[in-house]
Amino acid sequence: MQILDDYINRVKTLPPAPRILTELLRLLNDTEVDAGRIVDLIAFDPALTAKLLQRCNSAASGLAEPVCDLHQAVSLMGFNEIYRMVAVVVGEGLLGAAQRGYGIDSGELWQHSATAALAAKVIADKLGAESDLAFTAALLHDIGKLVLNGFLEGSYEPVLKQTGASGQSFIEAEKTLLGVEHAEVGGRLLARWNFPEGLVQTVWHHHDPVEAHPYQQLAGYVYLADLIAHCLGQGQGFQSFAIRGRPEVLEMLEISPKEIEGFVLQTALAVEEANWIIPRLP
Amino acid sequence: MRTSCLKDVAGFDKRLVVGVGALEVSNNPGAILTTYSLGSCLGVTIYDPLARAGGLLHTMLPDSTINAAKAAERPAMFMDTGLAALFRAAYELGAEKHRVHICVAGGSQFMDDSGLFNIGQRNYKMFTDILRQHGLVIAARAVGGYVSRTMQLQIGTGEVRLKTSGQHSETILHRS
Repeated sequence: MQILDDYINRVKTLPPAPRILTELLRLLNDTEVDAGRIVDLIAFDPALTAKLLQRCNSAASGLAEPVCDLHQAVSLMGFNEIYRMVAVVVGEGLLGAAQRGYGIDSGELWQHSATAALAAKVIADKLGAESDLAFTAALLHDIGKLVLNGFLEGSYEPVLKQTGASGQSFIEAEKTLLGVEHAEVGGRLLARWNFPEGLVQTVWHHHDPVEAHPYQQLAGYVYLADLIAHCLGQGQGFQSFAIRGRPEVLEMLEISPKEIEGFVLQTALAVEEANWIIPRLP
Repeated sequence: MRTSCLKDVAGFDKRLVVGVGALEVSNNPGAILTTYSLGSCLGVTIYDPLARAGGLLHTMLPDSTINAAKAAERPAMFMDTGLAALFRAAYELGAEKHRVHICVAGGSQFMDDSGLFNIGQRNYKMFTDILRQHGLVIAARAVGGYVSRTMQLQIGTGEVRLKTSGQHSETILHRS
């Protein structure tokens, strides 16, 4: 693990830990959570509060009356909806920048992550699972790319060679070139940030979900959600489709290829509805 | 479905963005139709050089039977209903079936020998099956691979351009 820590430690521009998300995730599991506690946590960050209220009051939120404070927002929209809005605001801040080492322009990693988050919610809802953890894991699944981006810059030719000629997937090419890959780096980073173990394992194994013991189901949702975001064209960058198909995931989740098409359709509709999440393309 | 019949000041470009699961047609020489985010989705352009009319379809899934209600509401989402809708809309502008140049882009694929995850492959198969049934041929294509693409049709010239993810320059796929 030393090599992973070295990579994380050498990055100077890493964003601060999104502590608000880990705190709120902890409260999500608490059935008797007090709304005041949620409001206190969010209100601690005035910039986040302002953005959150702005989103609550956007046309897409569907509220009949404008909300003026967090108490009102939580009681009208419910904790789960508010949690997802916080995750979106935090996620956009973390993932908005260009990642040149991956050939990803400004906003593109965010669009990919937000689309994957909506796909994970669609899948978890459909399969009757708790969706907020799946939403968050999918939102953060590529966070390791922030760490490895700088190390891949200027490596376009070797990456192409590795993923094309030698038939390696992108993540295998990373491992060959750098000795590490973005999924394990992402998992490691989230562990350092004190995210729950299920989320850490899911991000760590989002390209090989059956390895995410005992969180294979959750990792399976995020694996599929990543593929669906790619299908919908939200997977920009070099060789971004060089991801291995894992038929065992369909078996594990007991779903058919036709159902994946249904998830693609539902995700596309969810993206259209949540047009406040995805910035408009130029 | 929207048909463009815009009255323009000569020399001014009219840029139209075609969304996912949508189509646009035009005979306005200044019109430029663009669609972004072609992953496993397919972008199809048709252009009749004589009528100087054409259109662009961004279709998401191969088969409308998966959701007939959605297909009735938005035929462009599915290849079987979308391709028919694209041709019908272009006929309204004077295009003729066997005169159009047909280009196709997208249909990217994962590394998946099982084929279970490759919606791009299924989209392309449905597309070529329909063309074969109608005796139509493809003029140019950029299909498959590990990339996502942007596709553009210029109505004035019939030129079809492509931009590929991770690359900054555009390429010309076809000139009618």
